[in-house]
Amino acid sequence: MSKDVTVTIDGVSVTVPEGTLLVEAAKKVDHEIPVYCYHPKLGPAGLCRICLVEIEKMPKLQIACNTPVTDGMVVHTSSKNATEGRRAVLEFLLLNHPLDCPICDKGGECDLQDYVMAYGQGASRLADAKMHKPKAVDLGPTIVLDEERCILCLRCVRFDEIVTNEHSLRTEDRGAHAIIATATGEAYRSSFTGNVTELCPVGALTSKTYRFKSRPWDLHRTPTSCLQCSVGCRLNIDERHGEVLRTMSDPDDAISDGWLCDRGRYNIGFYHDERRITTPLLRTGEQWVQISWDEAIEQWAASLKESAAADGPQSIGVLGGGRLLNEEAFLLRHLCDALGVKNVDWRTGRQRFASHAARNSLAELENAGVIVTHGRPPSQMAPILDLRIRKAVSHNGARLISFGELGADAFVAEKHANTLDELRAALPAQYERIAFVSDGVSRPLDAALAGLRDELAAAGKQIVSYVLGEQPNARGADALGLVPSGGGLDARGMLEAARDGKLRTLAIFGANPMLRFPDRALVEAALARVPFTIVSELFMTQTAERANVILPARGPFEKTGTTTNVAGEILDIRAGLHAPEGTLADGEMFAVLADALGIALPDVHAIRLAIESAVGNGLQRDEAQPPKPRASTMGLIIRHIEHIFSGGGTSAFDAHIAALRPGPALLVARGEAGLEDGDVVDVVAVDGTRLDKLTVRTGNRIARGNVFVIDGLPEAPANLFADGAAVSIENVRKVREPVEA
Amino acid sequence: MASITPVLMKGIGELNLREIDVYKTQGGYAQLERALRELASEDVVKMTDASVLRGRGGAGFPTGRKWQFLPNNGEPRYLVCNCDEAEPGTFKDHQLLEETPHQVIEGIAIGSYAIGCHHAFIYIRGEFKRGYEIFRDAVAQARAAGYIGKGICGSNYDLELTLHRGAGAYICGEETALLNSLEGRRGEPRLKPPFPAVKGLYQKPTVVNNVETLAYLPWILKNGPEWFKAVGTERSTGYKVVSISGHVNKPGNYEVALGTTIRELIEIAGGMRQGRKCVAVQPGGGSSACIFEEQLDVPFEYESLAEAGSMLGSGAMVVFDETTDFVKAAHSLVRFFAHESCGQCTPCREGGHWLQATLERILCGEGLESDIEILKSASHQLTGINLCPLGDSIEPFLGSVIHRFEDQFRSYIKQPRTKVAS
Repeated sequence: MSKDVTVTIDGVSVTVPEGTLLVEAAKKVDHEIPVYCYHPKLGPAGLCRICLVEIEKMPKLQIACNTPVTDGMVVHTSSKNATEGRRAVLEFLLLNHPLDCPICDKGGECDLQDYVMAYGQGASRLADAKMHKPKAVDLGPTIVLDEERCILCLRCVRFDEIVTNEHSLRTEDRGAHAIIATATGEAYRSSFTGNVTELCPVGALTSKTYRFKSRPWDLHRTPTSCLQCSVGCRLNIDERHGEVLRTMSDPDDAISDGWLCDRGRYNIGFYHDERRITTPLLRTGEQWVQISWDEAIEQWAASLKESAAADGPQSIGVLGGGRLLNEEAFLLRHLCDALGVKNVDWRTGRQRFASHAARNSLAELENAGVIVTHGRPPSQMAPILDLRIRKAVSHNGARLISFGELGADAFVAEKHANTLDELRAALPAQYERIAFVSDGVSRPLDAALAGLRDELAAAGKQIVSYVLGEQPNARGADALGLVPSGGGLDARGMLEAARDGKLRTLAIFGANPMLRFPDRALVEAALARVPFTIVSELFMTQTAERANVILPARGPFEKTGTTTNVAGEILDIRAGLHAPEGTLADGEMFAVLADALGIALPDVHAIRLAIESAVGNGLQRDEAQPPKPRASTMGLIIRHIEHIFSGGGTSAFDAHIAALRPGPALLVARGEAGLEDGDVVDVVAVDGTRLDKLTVRTGNRIARGNVFVIDGLPEAPANLFADGAAVSIENVRKVREPVEA
Repeated sequence: MASITPVLMKGIGELNLREIDVYKTQGGYAQLERALRELASEDVVKMTDASVLRGRGGAGFPTGRKWQFLPNNGEPRYLVCNCDEAEPGTFKDHQLLEETPHQVIEGIAIGSYAIGCHHAFIYIRGEFKRGYEIFRDAVAQARAAGYIGKGICGSNYDLELTLHRGAGAYICGEETALLNSLEGRRGEPRLKPPFPAVKGLYQKPTVVNNVETLAYLPWILKNGPEWFKAVGTERSTGYKVVSISGHVNKPGNYEVALGTTIRELIEIAGGMRQGRKCVAVQPGGGSSACIFEEQLDVPFEYESLAEAGSMLGSGAMVVFDETTDFVKAAHSLVRFFAHESCGQCTPCREGGHWLQATLERILCGEGLESDIEILKSASHQLTGINLCPLGDSIEPFLGSVIHRFEDQFRSYIKQPRTKVAS
């Protein structure tokens, strides 16, 4: 316990823990000391010099950002000297600043503008021409940089160093000619680029998607939680004229630590994409016919009634739910129960389980002494959680161990363990807390780790565990019972039953099994055979294309309710956009259907209570494992891997992030089969299934004998192959001509 | 009249001290051997402390005291010898490096022993290619003779010495920028605290000492701290190599006792060129303010120069006669500092460039009446609020000469000239 010290700031006393920086102590008494380079999450840098204050008994002005308060310190933030120092710094900052505020996106929320108004002088004394630097520099696919507006506070550079550990930005040149550039000269690519636009205190770094779109005071803000992955970062929707123009982080959010990933930040263009489905559609032959909601509900209700009457509720199947809100998942389960439907499963992808029953917080992750990851890398499944891992390792000294065939891929030092023995051996001698991060795919692996977890818990270690959801609300869907009950079929069972003609009605909500279920042929056969398939979707996805009726759904920014994140926290979702006319939220569809079927629904309070009690009780169920892939006879095994920007729905139908989406690629170990980066190949399985024209990417951490294809790309669906199928590589088109020996 | 007293410079020009055998005939390495044999490391620290040896690189901080700031936390310690001599007018370390490299090596070894460092570094200015080669060969000789490496002089003390060449940035002479550069980072000063003594090279306790400072260590050990303290003043003890340049007849390095007056130093350097009058002297390198003809009897030592409004700095004295164009001189230095600014912190980056642009415009005959006030106030307001001393180095010379020779600046504005006699 550190001791407290008392400091006097402009005559006001404040008592703070010893070591508190003066700039933070001043906040406690609402005496804001201006800062540019200092940021609470990045620490002091001492560069901009705007935070000069006068401290009694010190001859020179001191920077408040790097001065820890001491007992009895007397500080003046607006004495003659301090005021003059601040004025001088602002005069220097404005000398070569272009003063293009009228066309600057930052105008209205610019710290330079604000502090010059508050502390600066009216006119410039510069008699010479201003220096010119590059404007509208294309820094990468997401960011545009204006070097003239830049005040070289280096928040962006330090973010990329301190927070992401990627070190891809730096200062180039020096003195008055210094500019921000990428370290390699190549495009600034990272999963977190958008954060630099928020950190930038001026208008130097701007998002391509928001440039010249609006003034901050014209935006209407709604706080909600991001539903692009299972982390659930707090996020602000900034809307104008019915359109979401940008999203901003919440600096005080305990979940996100104040950051957003680029998927969460930029994947917002789909809301206003003209390809959105805004009216229920009925397939008649090869044609889609627009129908009214009444007709759609009628068709749906009729199909349910007829199916139940003919073959009982076992002829009805419900797939999906990981994209639904808690309330919606609850209603869906309620409807199923009322209809006696037991064939329900949210697991339409690879994930098999959603939690280890423990509620925890993301902050606990960064204080773990050891972090064990297994399965698909968190960097692609849950980027902001990955930042916590980086923080734990690079700042708090944690050890990161990736277990199994995939590395954690986290930009920090990582040990790799292939077996449990290796994992045990890799554990450090001293630590209190160990965190397990998994993708919830492999039950056997999880069972093996469960033994280790019990062992460690018995040895007094604190265990925290995170199961990353493939879909944002996987954990909520699981907890709220969107799983087979009373002998019902799971997703594979339903699809097989459908293929075999045993299902009459299949309802798919918040899921795209055609692209995500690890057996595309089965999904295709099933959907071709079911007499009535109803799908709720925003876009004409591969699954929707095969439906009989499509219900136009609403996106996350258009709904209100709650979601459950990876840590088991129930988070508020608030609508910040008016949904397009003709669409309904899935929950509303369920309510309308319930009405049509005469099913009574519980009231809002009962639903909320049910959610509160269900979440946290992660379910452990015995279940059939997907069939084991055949052993490879051809030397290579194909595996599916996640990419932050893959997906066939909101991501595929978003012009904003088109440049960020991965192309069809084949990831192989460096040197595998003589392949080189850039080679173009076809991948063929024993049964003739093939993916053509995949671009080769080589990596060091890829186990030999494995080739990886990115899952969830409509143009090259990885789920054509079973995960683990034997494949061969054909038609290698070399990027470079082989050198003659 | 005072005279030169060669200590470090003894034998230069007469003997080939680059050869270890020659150096040893002059008593070289005897003090390192003695220290390892007879003295505890604390004794070396005590003797250095007692000598009141102050850092000869520019800041003038007492060396023994600096060493004592190192925390006893069991972490490895590093000694870094700063040979990035780039202060305008300074050329003493250059000569020591080239002419008596073994003396520098012995100083580094004694200093390292004193602080318990087993891996020392020397950061050599990139332009000193010849000096680097000479020093590298000398280190090879010293290593072969057992003065560098495992078990030096038969003791159980190990010392590794790594040579690192800079890439030509003045800022890398600032100790924390030097450490960044040594680590392979961009050469820009670090925010202090933490100070290098606590978190220096590779975040470990580190001492950065100047070449000349370390070179005095064998002599302090040999002759005792009292010998060193016997000359100079109470707080400015011992000897100093002064680089004298400018309008004197015999520019060069002269080693004198601290306290020798400026006037005497000018005489030592052969007097004023063509018998002209000295109007100003910049006594402590490009970062120091000028003192003027009526102040020539100021003793050349830390306190007196500070009292006179300037500083001893690196001990590089530039002498100006009445033919000097101080607008051009000021521009030359301002341009240097603006060019060498790393650009990290606002006042130095923006202010230096502003002053340079203003002076350039004045020199081009486009000066404005308001420029005089800008030069004075802008240089004043950028001083004392920077991250490192570079920013604070821009004002002293400009500020001192614009007040003294304001008419020279005004004449450019009133009677624009494009060509000025130099």
